[in-house]
Amino acid sequence: MTGHVFGLGIGLAALGVAIGLGLIGYSAMQGMSRQPEAIGKIQTAMLIALAFVELVFLLTVFVVPGSLKI
Amino acid sequence: MGEVLTAGTLLGAAGGEGGAHGASYEGLFVYLGIVVVILFLFLANAKQGLNNRVFKKWTTQWTEQLYLFIENMTVGIIGGHGRKYIPLIMALWMIIFVSNIVSLFFPTAPTADLSFNLALALISIGYVQWEGMKANGVAGHFSHFAGPKLGGGLVLISLMIFVIELISEVMKNVSLSLRLFGNIEGGHQAVVAMNELGAGVYIPIGFFLLPVKLLTCVVQALIFTLLTCVYISLVTHHEEEGHEHSHGELAGAH
Repeated sequence: MTGHVFGLGIGLAALGVAIGLGLIGYSAMQGMSRQPEAIGKIQTAMLIALAFVELVFLLTVFVVPGSLKI
Repeated sequence: MGEVLTAGTLLGAAGGEGGAHGASYEGLFVYLGIVVVILFLFLANAKQGLNNRVFKKWTTQWTEQLYLFIENMTVGIIGGHGRKYIPLIMALWMIIFVSNIVSLFFPTAPTADLSFNLALALISIGYVQWEGMKANGVAGHFSHFAGPKLGGGLVLISLMIFVIELISEVMKNVSLSLRLFGNIEGGHQAVVAMNELGAGVYIPIGFFLLPVKLLTCVVQALIFTLLTCVYISLVTHHEEEGHEHSHGELAGAH
Protein backbone atom coordinates (compact mmCIF):
# COMPACT_ATOMS: atom_id res chain seq x y z
CA MET A 1 0.00 0.00 0.00
CA THR A 2 2.76 2.43 0.95
CA GLY A 3 4.52 1.64 -2.30
CA HIS A 4 1.42 2.66 -4.25
CA VAL A 5 1.23 5.95 -2.39
CA PHE A 6 4.94 6.50 -3.04
CA GLY A 7 4.46 5.87 -6.75
CA LEU A 8 1.60 8.35 -6.91
CA GLY A 9 3.69 10.89 -5.01
CA ILE A 10 6.62 10.46 -7.41
CA GLY A 11 4.25 10.99 -10.32
CA LEU A 12 2.85 14.15 -8.78
CA ALA A 13 6.36 15.46 -8.04
CA ALA A 14 7.43 14.73 -11.62
CA LEU A 15 4.35 16.58 -12.89
CA GLY A 16 5.10 19.70 -10.88
CA VAL A 17 8.80 19.70 -11.65
CA ALA A 18 8.11 19.18 -15.37
CA ILE A 19 5.82 22.22 -15.37
CA GLY A 20 8.51 24.24 -13.61
CA LEU A 21 11.26 23.16 -16.00
CA GLY A 22 9.00 23.92 -18.95
CA LEU A 23 8.30 27.41 -17.65
CA ILE A 24 12.03 28.08 -17.23
CA GLY A 25 12.82 26.85 -20.73
CA TYR A 26 9.89 28.79 -22.19
CA SER A 27 10.83 32.09 -20.65
CA ALA A 28 14.54 31.60 -21.34
CA MET A 29 13.86 30.90 -25.03
CA GLN A 30 11.60 33.92 -25.22
CA GLY A 31 14.27 36.08 -23.65
CA MET A 32 16.94 34.70 -25.98
CA SER A 33 14.86 35.35 -29.08
CA ARG A 34 14.14 38.89 -27.96
CA GLN A 35 17.74 39.67 -27.06
CA PRO A 36 20.13 37.34 -28.88
CA GLU A 37 23.10 39.34 -27.59
CA ALA A 38 22.27 38.32 -23.99
CA ILE A 39 22.24 34.58 -24.71
CA GLY A 40 25.29 33.86 -22.55
CA LYS A 41 23.91 35.49 -19.42
CA ILE A 42 20.44 34.05 -19.92
CA GLN A 43 21.84 30.55 -20.37
CA THR A 44 23.87 30.79 -17.16
CA ALA A 45 20.90 31.95 -15.12
CA MET A 46 18.69 29.35 -16.82
CA LEU A 47 21.06 26.50 -15.95
CA ILE A 48 21.17 27.56 -12.30
CA ALA A 49 17.39 27.80 -12.13
CA LEU A 50 17.06 24.40 -13.81
CA ALA A 51 19.40 22.89 -11.23
CA PHE A 52 17.39 24.26 -8.33
CA VAL A 53 14.07 23.03 -9.73
CA GLU A 54 15.56 19.63 -10.51
CA LEU A 55 16.78 19.32 -6.94
CA VAL A 56 13.20 19.31 -5.68
CA PHE A 57 12.46 16.13 -7.60
CA LEU A 58 15.70 14.49 -6.48
CA LEU A 59 14.86 15.33 -2.87
CA THR A 60 11.46 13.73 -3.37
CA VAL A 61 12.98 10.57 -4.83
CA PHE A 62 15.74 10.13 -2.26
CA VAL A 63 14.35 11.58 0.97
CA VAL A 64 10.69 10.49 0.96
CA PRO A 65 11.45 6.71 1.00
CA GLY A 66 13.62 7.19 4.06
CA SER A 67 10.94 9.10 5.92
CA LEU A 68 8.23 6.61 4.94
CA LYS A 69 10.46 3.64 5.93
CA ILE A 70 9.73 1.53 2.84
CA MET B 1 36.25 0.35 2.69
CA GLY B 2 32.98 0.10 4.55
CA GLU B 3 29.41 0.55 3.60
CA VAL B 4 29.03 3.08 0.81
CA LEU B 5 25.78 4.97 0.60
CA THR B 6 24.12 4.11 -2.68
CA ALA B 7 20.60 4.50 -3.98
CA GLY B 8 20.00 0.92 -2.92
CA THR B 9 20.64 1.55 0.74
CA LEU B 10 18.70 4.81 0.52
CA LEU B 11 15.71 3.33 -1.23
CA GLY B 12 15.75 0.16 0.83
CA ALA B 13 13.58 -2.48 -0.78
CA ALA B 14 12.78 -0.29 -3.77
CA GLY B 15 16.42 -0.15 -4.87
CA GLY B 16 16.91 -3.89 -4.96
CA GLU B 17 20.43 -5.23 -4.80
CA GLY B 18 22.12 -2.10 -3.56
CA GLY B 19 23.16 -0.16 -6.63
CA ALA B 20 25.04 -2.99 -8.33
CA HIS B 21 24.66 -2.79 -12.08
CA GLY B 22 25.68 -6.26 -13.09
CA ALA B 23 29.44 -6.15 -12.41
CA SER B 24 30.97 -8.47 -9.86
CA TYR B 25 33.35 -5.84 -8.49
CA GLU B 26 32.40 -2.47 -7.17
CA GLY B 27 33.89 0.07 -4.87
CA LEU B 28 34.68 3.73 -4.98
CA PHE B 29 38.45 3.52 -5.18
CA VAL B 30 38.55 1.24 -8.23
CA TYR B 31 36.62 3.80 -10.22
CA LEU B 32 38.45 6.73 -8.67
CA GLY B 33 41.67 5.07 -9.80
CA ILE B 34 40.31 4.78 -13.34
CA VAL B 35 39.40 8.46 -13.33
CA VAL B 36 42.81 9.55 -12.02
CA VAL B 37 44.62 7.39 -14.60
CA ILE B 38 42.55 8.83 -17.47
CA LEU B 39 43.18 12.38 -16.27
CA PHE B 40 46.89 11.77 -15.80
CA LEU B 41 47.34 10.19 -19.24
CA PHE B 42 45.40 12.96 -20.97
CA LEU B 43 47.20 15.79 -19.20
CA ALA B 44 50.64 14.18 -19.59
CA ASN B 45 49.95 13.78 -23.29
CA ALA B 46 48.76 17.37 -23.50
CA LYS B 47 51.86 18.68 -21.73
CA GLN B 48 54.14 17.31 -24.47
CA GLY B 49 52.53 19.67 -26.97
CA LEU B 50 53.55 22.73 -24.95
CA ASN B 51 57.00 22.77 -26.60
CA ASN B 52 55.74 24.24 -29.87
CA ARG B 53 54.97 27.92 -30.21
CA VAL B 54 51.68 26.95 -31.84
CA PHE B 55 49.85 24.04 -30.21
CA LYS B 56 49.70 21.24 -32.79
CA LYS B 57 48.74 18.33 -30.54
CA TRP B 58 44.99 17.86 -30.31
CA THR B 59 45.10 17.10 -26.57
CA THR B 60 46.93 20.37 -25.95
CA GLN B 61 44.41 22.27 -28.05
CA TRP B 62 41.50 20.70 -26.18
CA THR B 63 43.04 21.46 -22.82
CA GLU B 64 43.60 25.05 -23.89
CA GLN B 65 39.99 25.34 -25.00
CA LEU B 66 38.87 23.85 -21.68
CA TYR B 67 41.03 26.33 -19.80
CA LEU B 68 39.59 29.23 -21.79
CA PHE B 69 36.06 27.99 -21.12
CA ILE B 70 36.65 27.70 -17.37
CA GLU B 71 38.44 31.05 -17.27
CA ASN B 72 35.59 32.69 -19.15
CA MET B 73 33.05 31.26 -16.71
CA THR B 74 35.04 32.06 -13.57
CA VAL B 75 35.96 35.61 -14.53
CA GLY B 76 32.48 36.25 -15.89
CA ILE B 77 30.76 35.25 -12.65
CA ILE B 78 33.24 36.20 -9.90
CA GLY B 79 34.77 39.21 -11.62
CA GLY B 80 38.35 40.34 -12.19
CA HIS B 81 39.68 38.91 -8.93
CA GLY B 82 38.27 35.48 -9.79
CA ARG B 83 41.36 34.52 -11.74
CA LYS B 84 42.98 32.96 -8.67
CA TYR B 85 40.10 30.50 -8.25
CA ILE B 86 40.65 28.95 -11.70
CA PRO B 87 42.83 26.02 -10.45
CA LEU B 88 40.16 24.90 -7.96
CA ILE B 89 37.32 25.28 -10.44
CA MET B 90 39.27 23.53 -13.19
CA ALA B 91 40.20 20.62 -10.91
CA LEU B 92 36.58 20.22 -9.80
CA TRP B 93 35.34 20.39 -13.38
CA MET B 94 37.79 17.82 -14.70
CA ILE B 95 37.34 15.28 -11.92
CA ILE B 96 33.54 15.55 -12.09
CA PHE B 97 33.43 15.46 -15.89
CA VAL B 98 35.74 12.46 -16.24
CA SER B 99 33.88 10.64 -13.47
CA ASN B 100 30.61 11.29 -15.27
CA ILE B 101 32.07 10.06 -18.56
CA VAL B 102 33.29 6.91 -16.77
CA SER B 103 29.69 6.29 -15.78
CA LEU B 104 28.81 5.95 -19.49
CA PHE B 105 31.16 3.00 -20.02
CA PHE B 106 31.42 1.31 -16.63
CA PRO B 107 28.74 -0.15 -14.36
CA THR B 108 29.15 2.63 -11.83
CA ALA B 109 31.27 5.72 -11.29
CA PRO B 110 32.72 7.81 -8.46
CA THR B 111 30.02 10.44 -8.91
CA ALA B 112 27.34 7.74 -8.67
CA ASP B 113 28.40 7.42 -5.02
CA LEU B 114 26.96 9.87 -2.50
CA SER B 115 30.02 9.81 -0.24
CA PHE B 116 32.35 11.02 -3.01
CA ASN B 117 29.94 13.78 -4.00
CA LEU B 118 29.56 14.85 -0.40
CA ALA B 119 33.35 15.08 -0.10
CA LEU B 120 33.49 17.29 -3.22
CA ALA B 121 30.70 19.49 -1.89
CA LEU B 122 32.40 19.78 1.52
CA ILE B 123 35.63 20.87 -0.19
CA SER B 124 33.77 23.43 -2.27
CA ILE B 125 31.64 24.91 0.55
CA GLY B 126 34.48 24.76 3.06
CA TYR B 127 36.67 26.72 0.67
CA VAL B 128 33.86 29.24 0.23
CA GLN B 129 33.74 29.74 4.04
CA TRP B 130 37.53 30.16 4.15
CA GLU B 131 37.45 32.72 1.36
CA GLY B 132 34.59 34.57 3.04
CA MET B 133 36.57 34.75 6.27
CA LYS B 134 39.63 35.99 4.38
CA ALA B 135 37.64 38.65 2.52
CA ASN B 136 35.42 39.96 5.35
CA GLY B 137 37.15 38.80 8.52
CA VAL B 138 35.75 36.08 10.77
CA ALA B 139 33.23 38.36 12.52
CA GLY B 140 32.26 40.01 9.25
CA HIS B 141 31.67 36.66 7.60
CA PHE B 142 29.39 35.46 10.37
CA SER B 143 27.55 38.78 10.64
CA HIS B 144 26.91 38.36 6.91
CA PHE B 145 24.60 35.50 7.86
CA ALA B 146 22.44 37.74 10.06
CA GLY B 147 21.11 39.79 7.16
CA PRO B 148 20.80 43.60 7.25
CA LYS B 149 21.48 45.51 10.45
CA LEU B 150 18.30 45.92 12.49
CA GLY B 151 18.01 47.90 15.71
CA GLY B 152 15.96 47.58 18.91
CA GLY B 153 13.64 44.60 19.32
CA LEU B 154 14.25 43.52 15.75
CA VAL B 155 17.45 41.79 16.93
CA LEU B 156 15.22 38.77 17.49
CA ILE B 157 14.48 38.70 13.75
CA SER B 158 18.21 38.98 13.03
CA LEU B 159 18.75 35.93 15.25
CA MET B 160 16.12 33.97 13.32
CA ILE B 161 17.68 35.00 10.00
CA PHE B 162 21.06 33.88 11.34
CA VAL B 163 19.77 30.42 12.23
CA ILE B 164 17.98 30.03 8.90
CA GLU B 165 21.06 31.17 6.96
CA LEU B 166 23.20 28.72 8.92
CA ILE B 167 20.83 25.89 8.00
CA SER B 168 20.82 26.94 4.35
CA GLU B 169 24.62 27.05 4.38
CA VAL B 170 24.68 23.43 5.57
CA MET B 171 22.01 22.48 3.06
CA LYS B 172 24.23 23.81 0.24
CA ASN B 173 26.43 20.75 0.82
CA VAL B 174 23.42 18.46 0.61
CA SER B 175 22.02 20.13 -2.49
CA LEU B 176 25.34 20.13 -4.38
CA SER B 177 26.09 16.48 -3.63
CA LEU B 178 22.55 15.14 -3.97
CA ARG B 179 22.05 16.85 -7.34
CA LEU B 180 25.15 15.24 -8.84
CA PHE B 181 24.44 11.86 -7.24
CA GLY B 182 20.79 11.87 -8.24
CA ASN B 183 21.49 12.71 -11.85
CA ILE B 184 24.23 10.15 -12.42
CA GLU B 185 22.72 7.35 -10.35
CA GLY B 186 19.27 8.15 -11.76
CA GLY B 187 20.69 7.76 -15.25
CA HIS B 188 22.05 4.33 -14.28
CA GLN B 189 18.71 3.25 -12.88
CA ALA B 190 16.89 4.48 -16.00
CA VAL B 191 19.27 2.53 -18.28
CA VAL B 192 18.86 -0.62 -16.16
CA ALA B 193 15.07 -0.29 -16.16
CA MET B 194 14.93 0.23 -19.93
CA ASN B 195 17.26 -2.71 -20.53
CA GLU B 196 14.88 -4.89 -18.55
CA LEU B 197 12.07 -3.51 -20.71
CA GLY B 198 13.77 -4.78 -23.86
CA ALA B 199 15.12 -8.00 -22.37
CA GLY B 200 12.30 -10.06 -23.89
CA VAL B 201 13.18 -9.10 -27.46
CA TYR B 202 16.97 -8.90 -26.87
CA ILE B 203 17.21 -5.18 -27.63
CA PRO B 204 19.17 -3.09 -25.08
CA ILE B 205 16.81 -0.13 -25.22
CA GLY B 206 18.81 1.57 -22.46
CA PHE B 207 21.62 2.28 -24.89
CA PHE B 208 19.45 4.83 -26.64
CA LEU B 209 19.62 6.84 -23.42
CA LEU B 210 23.40 7.30 -23.74
CA PRO B 211 23.23 10.63 -25.68
CA VAL B 212 20.92 12.02 -22.99
CA LYS B 213 23.33 10.77 -20.33
CA LEU B 214 26.23 12.47 -22.15
CA LEU B 215 24.31 15.75 -22.04
CA THR B 216 23.64 15.19 -18.33
CA CYS B 217 27.35 14.55 -17.73
CA VAL B 218 28.40 17.87 -19.27
CA VAL B 219 25.59 19.85 -17.65
CA GLN B 220 26.14 18.42 -14.17
CA ALA B 221 29.88 19.14 -14.22
CA LEU B 222 29.07 22.64 -15.45
CA ILE B 223 26.41 23.23 -12.79
CA PHE B 224 28.60 22.05 -9.91
CA THR B 225 31.43 24.42 -10.86
CA LEU B 226 29.02 27.21 -11.77
CA LEU B 227 27.37 27.04 -8.35
CA THR B 228 30.79 27.00 -6.67
CA CYS B 229 31.63 30.18 -8.60
CA VAL B 230 28.33 31.77 -7.58
CA TYR B 231 28.91 30.91 -3.90
CA ILE B 232 32.44 32.34 -4.05
CA SER B 233 31.18 35.49 -5.74
CA LEU B 234 28.49 35.88 -3.08
CA VAL B 235 31.03 36.00 -0.24
CA THR B 236 33.73 38.04 -2.01
CA HIS B 237 31.72 40.45 -4.15
CA HIS B 238 32.34 43.58 -2.05
CA GLU B 239 35.74 44.17 -3.56
CA GLU B 240 34.51 45.39 -6.93
CA GLU B 241 31.43 47.58 -6.82
CA GLY B 242 31.44 48.39 -10.52
CA HIS B 243 30.02 45.08 -11.71
CA GLU B 244 27.42 44.95 -8.97
CA HIS B 245 24.42 44.46 -11.23
CA SER B 246 26.14 41.97 -13.52
CA HIS B 247 25.84 39.09 -11.07
CA GLY B 248 22.81 40.49 -9.30
CA GLU B 249 20.50 38.14 -11.18
CA LEU B 250 22.70 35.18 -10.24
CA ALA B 251 22.34 36.12 -6.60
CA GLY B 252 18.60 36.30 -7.11
CA ALA B 253 18.52 32.80 -8.59
CA HIS B 254 20.32 31.37 -5.62
